[in-house]
Amino acid sequence: MPKSITALILISVFTTFIGGCAYQRVQPWERDILAQKKMSLDPYPLDTYLDEHIYFSKENSSGGQGVGGGGCGCN
Amino acid sequence: MPATGMNSALRMVAALLLFLISSLAYSDPAPDFTLPADKGEIRLSDLKGKVVYLDFWASWCGPCRKSFPWMNDLQARYGDKGLVILAVNLDKDTAAAKQFLEKYPAHFRVAYDPDGKVPALYGVKGMPSSFFISRDGQMHSAHQGFHDQDTAGLEATVQSLLNK
Amino acid sequence: MQLKNPKPIRQALTLATCGMLAGVAPAGSVLAADKPLEVDSAILFYSETDRVQAFEPVVRVRKEIGEEEFVSARVVIDALTGSSANGAIATATPQTFTSPSGNATYQVNANETPLDPTFHDTRGAVNAQWEKPLSQQLKGVFSANASTEFDYTSFGLAATISKDINDKLTTLIVGASANFDQVSPAGNIPVGLTPMPVFPAVKTTTDASDTKTVTDLMFGVTQVINRNTLMQLNYSFGSDSGYLTDPYKILSVVDGGTGALRASDPYVYEKRPDSRARNALYWKMQHQFTEDVLTLSYRYYGDDWGVTSHTLEGFYRYELNATHYLQPHVRYYRQGKADFYHTYLIDGQETTLKEASADYRLGDLTTTTLGLKYGMALGEGSEFGVRLEVMNQSGESDSPIGVMAGQDLSTDLNAVILQINYSLLF
Repeated sequence: MPKSITALILISVFTTFIGGCAYQRVQPWERDILAQKKMSLDPYPLDTYLDEHIYFSKENSSGGQGVGGGGCGCN
Repeated sequence: MPATGMNSALRMVAALLLFLISSLAYSDPAPDFTLPADKGEIRLSDLKGKVVYLDFWASWCGPCRKSFPWMNDLQARYGDKGLVILAVNLDKDTAAAKQFLEKYPAHFRVAYDPDGKVPALYGVKGMPSSFFISRDGQMHSAHQGFHDQDTAGLEATVQSLLNK
Repeated sequence: MQLKNPKPIRQALTLATCGMLAGVAPAGSVLAADKPLEVDSAILFYSETDRVQAFEPVVRVRKEIGEEEFVSARVVIDALTGSSANGAIATATPQTFTSPSGNATYQVNANETPLDPTFHDTRGAVNAQWEKPLSQQLKGVFSANASTEFDYTSFGLAATISKDINDKLTTLIVGASANFDQVSPAGNIPVGLTPMPVFPAVKTTTDASDTKTVTDLMFGVTQVINRNTLMQLNYSFGSDSGYLTDPYKILSVVDGGTGALRASDPYVYEKRPDSRARNALYWKMQHQFTEDVLTLSYRYYGDDWGVTSHTLEGFYRYELNATHYLQPHVRYYRQGKADFYHTYLIDGQETTLKEASADYRLGDLTTTTLGLKYGMALGEGSEFGVRLEVMNQSGESDSPIGVMAGQDLSTDLNAVILQINYSLLF
């Protein structure tokens, strides 16, 4: 799948670029902002759950964010 | 920016070195510092003759909330035997610390280090972190995190240092 | 960078576990220490123009049972009514279809996209989750889920293990899940690519029910970039096997020259492959400005049905003041069609093709969603939110033949999503 390889390379380059430019080692006592709920990776799990359910039933693609969504007869 | 980069690189090296040395055995004097505190300033070396429980905390740190009542209790029970608990706050904004203290009052000494100079010196690896300093100012041991099951061990360390 | 003067409620919402990498740390564990029960609830209203209406309440309860150890349960009811596209194309004359049960018929007006009005269902789903610290650096999340609707049941297990490394600036994640589903459609399982009989004739069926297994494996990395930025990269591989066909979907069979529906047996049941291998690459970034938070994500998806898709999503949490925020949301999704997607079949193709489906969800498709959420902190750990979103799906059809030229074969679907959230701590 050349397309998927292209996507992988693009993401890697992009991630390295953004990450590399802005990277600063954060000390344990400097994690006040990262500790906020709104900075957690999934601050509103019910929103995510409902969105995934909607798009799972309306589109062919699914997954990516995590595992264990549960099945439904909607697709 | 290069100066800051240098500075943080140096701090990292210092922290790493300190960590390496300290994890082997604490046979060195605890690094001295002076910080603004609840009442004026506090200098670590002025506490010589006391056993110091040096705690690093922040208002956003969850386990710190649990540790405060326990430290109050510890200070109350061992204060007259020579224990000084010194909790160094590491919030960038000291106002956040003051709000925390309104909810979780501290009956021990509190100092403020918004620039994080002292934790770098001590090589703090996680929040909260505590360091045990003997009466002669020597670093005895360190502890990271705060879990209910750790409290018995922490108290035993305090007792052994007080009895030395 | 200095924080603005923190206000009490903002403080209350600042949930943290210092022992873990912020960001992947379970939100709420701090307050859980004081008030060990979190209740999170939402009601979703989903409404498609002329089609499906859904009403979906969800409740999630989470409780700390040990140090950094949580159990949670989620219960969902999903009530659907309305009509759903059956896969057939619009024609210049009215069409008659046999309902899935085989006991009745329904009519579709001339020049209208055929919708099956018998579409209604209520689904109940439960999920139980256990978050358990396995060591200072290792954390496990184990979950089980089950759901039931009148023609479908699903049972699944999932496990995710994450490991903090690099002074908790990096987290490695590995996850696996397996779902075991059973479909028992109204009127039993039709034989794929065989004609839909005209009522009262009865379709040929294989069985009353069939099964499907869905497994997923995921590898992820989360990295703290700086004091305000967090990044995540996941790769997941999925494998589906068993009955993956939609038993209710059909295809129109037309004359290759005129484009008119075949005189006899104008519709056949769809048939999909019995396996699918999926790959997904997911990237997410969260960055906090002085107070506002920008979340961006991109997903690449590809499967061996020939579908590839790109999903771009962005949220911007705009803090109105200490307790209120507005959050615009944009989502753009584009997929390329499956190898066996056909808007219609040409007479004879149903015998030569191994698989075929006219389900627009397998065709070339673009989904665009625009939304706005308003959130308000009500007190310590208690929060209210409402979001309104509009979604458009536009699908492209195969080229029309002959008489089809006058018909709209492509999909254009509009939906409105309204969701109300309320969470509190006990």
